Amino acid sequence: MSAVGVAEAAQAVVADEPVAEAARRRRRARRAARRRHGRRQAHRRARQPSAGSAGWTEAHVRRLFWRAGFGATPVEARRWAKRGKTATLDFVVNGPPGGAQLRGLEPRVDGRTLDPLNEWGDNVLWWLDRMVRTTYPLQEKMTLFWHDHFATSDQDTPMMLAQNRMLRRRALGSFRDLLGDVTRDPAMQLFLSLAGSTKDAPNENFARELMELFTLGTGYSERDVREAARALTGFIADWHDNGTVTIQYEADEHDDGVKTLLGRRGPFGVDDVLDLVVAHPKHAPFLVEKLWSFFVATPPSRETVRALVATYRANDLRIKPLVRAILEHPQLYRKLDAPDLVKCPVVYVAGALRTTGSHIVQGYPTWLLETMGQYPFYPPSVAGWDWGPAWMSSNSMRQRFTLGNYVVNYGRPRVRRGSAPATLTAQEAYELAWRAVAEPQVSPATRAALVHLAAHFFDDLDPDWRDKADWRGEALQATLRHLLLVCPDSQLH
Amino acid sequence: MTEAMVVWRRTVLAGGVLGALLLAALVAAGPADARRQLPTTSVGVGAREYRLAAYRTSVPRGTVRFNLANYGEDGHDLVVRTLGGHELARTGEVRAGRRVTLQLPLAPGTYRLICDLADHEARGMRTTLKVTR
Repeated sequence: MSAVGVAEAAQAVVADEPVAEAARRRRRARRAARRRHGRRQAHRRARQPSAGSAGWTEAHVRRLFWRAGFGATPVEARRWAKRGKTATLDFVVNGPPGGAQLRGLEPRVDGRTLDPLNEWGDNVLWWLDRMVRTTYPLQEKMTLFWHDHFATSDQDTPMMLAQNRMLRRRALGSFRDLLGDVTRDPAMQLFLSLAGSTKDAPNENFARELMELFTLGTGYSERDVREAARALTGFIADWHDNGTVTIQYEADEHDDGVKTLLGRRGPFGVDDVLDLVVAHPKHAPFLVEKLWSFFVATPPSRETVRALVATYRANDLRIKPLVRAILEHPQLYRKLDAPDLVKCPVVYVAGALRTTGSHIVQGYPTWLLETMGQYPFYPPSVAGWDWGPAWMSSNSMRQRFTLGNYVVNYGRPRVRRGSAPATLTAQEAYELAWRAVAEPQVSPATRAALVHLAAHFFDDLDPDWRDKADWRGEALQATLRHLLLVCPDSQLH
Repeated sequence: MTEAMVVWRRTVLAGGVLGALLLAALVAAGPADARRQLPTTSVGVGAREYRLAAYRTSVPRGTVRFNLANYGEDGHDLVVRTLGGHELARTGEVRAGRRVTLQLPLAPGTYRLICDLADHEARGMRTTLKVTR
């Protein structure tokens, strides 16, 4: 193009620009108006009193917020108890209008911001911080569920973080889409040797876990595993000079022969295998029961499983309607005064920080999670972690006590000088501590023991000195707050 | 002596020589330059059979902290060399599933990171890191 031609083209662009820019501005304004309208409608819906609000109490909200997330603050418990069950479930399941956000102070470790890719343990703190500060806790809770369900371990940090982002994106969507992304995920492919599985040497690792742990549990044969492994061949790991890896599908390495799989026959490929396993009659009950046990301690009745399976299938294997059906099931709200589900370490740590309004200011939580037995990104095997009472080992309990120290020393419940005079009555001292740690559920026996402790905390002091012993009052507060955070009642939700 | 202590001692020994050189350079450059704080940059490094992956390809000059994680099944180490082959620092052997830190000041240039156990380097456990101004 000549110099003149270039100048003309430039002039044409300049002449067009205001028109194009104005159109863009109008489009942006229309989109913003639509978003504002949607937010207003959602807020209005959330504020409307629910038809089913009768019998919906703060205890119900606390149970729901713990099971579907990482606990409720006193303000949240009061607000959502007033708004009723339906509005609360809408909010918990769908998240806030506009999607998840992180609120509050950004985490810092020894004064620096997190570097999850390169610094030891920062990947764990990065995810923990999301659990503590997200406005959509169910999304993080489900990401944790999928991290355990599709357990992947010992892979390079960038790949694990990428997988974590994928699990979060797919957490409440279609199970089939999630399974497709997991099957093609580099960390998973390397962990279960799907990368490098070729028509000449098919590897059965992934195919076996796909059926045993990811989708069916039972109802398949060894032959199905072998045939699925053939159908899943073709993924090749390409290692680059800087040591990083990408994975590609190479049709030449795929076994395109006819396979017999789960009673069907054909030249099946990768997506055919995934379609077949999710269409298998064993899949829906398998996933429903696993998801149920994540949220509810007591096993579901046969009728409950049947109803949840119907919900799951009627919604094209989408997770959100199924999770909602579980979260609104009366069984979840059984025995509100006697919680029966053990908090796993991640939920215990994130919950203690979140409910008390505390933040990550030290690297301790990452070490504590490791010694408590649940170190994110490092599940012990492809079967994930052992849940339930298995979390309550003596060493794990000791570390839970240490977390209490962390929260009382570095979190919002730390005792300010002059805030707790020694002249408070035992009951007043207990209530001050209870409010400072976000009003947790405490059994009458625990409460009585703590009030008893408060009543005798100054027995060694001359009564005349008590009004001058504020430092002892502050020590009592720290003790009570610590015990409230780590007492047996706090281990369950 | 624990593995971490061995690594620390070797790090201190290797880093000490370089640190002294750096300090001498800073003193020679004058007090204003000496006061200027050079950044510390972390570089995650994953080791497995037989790959060594550095999660950053380039870092600014200053102190570099290599966080080595052995994701493999065998023992591995991390050796930092100039392109001319001069060894600057090394970790001890890191067992499978363990992690160590190696910290040293690096001037602008290109450095070779390798695992020099057995024939691991020849099998692919090598990569480069660029240090920019």
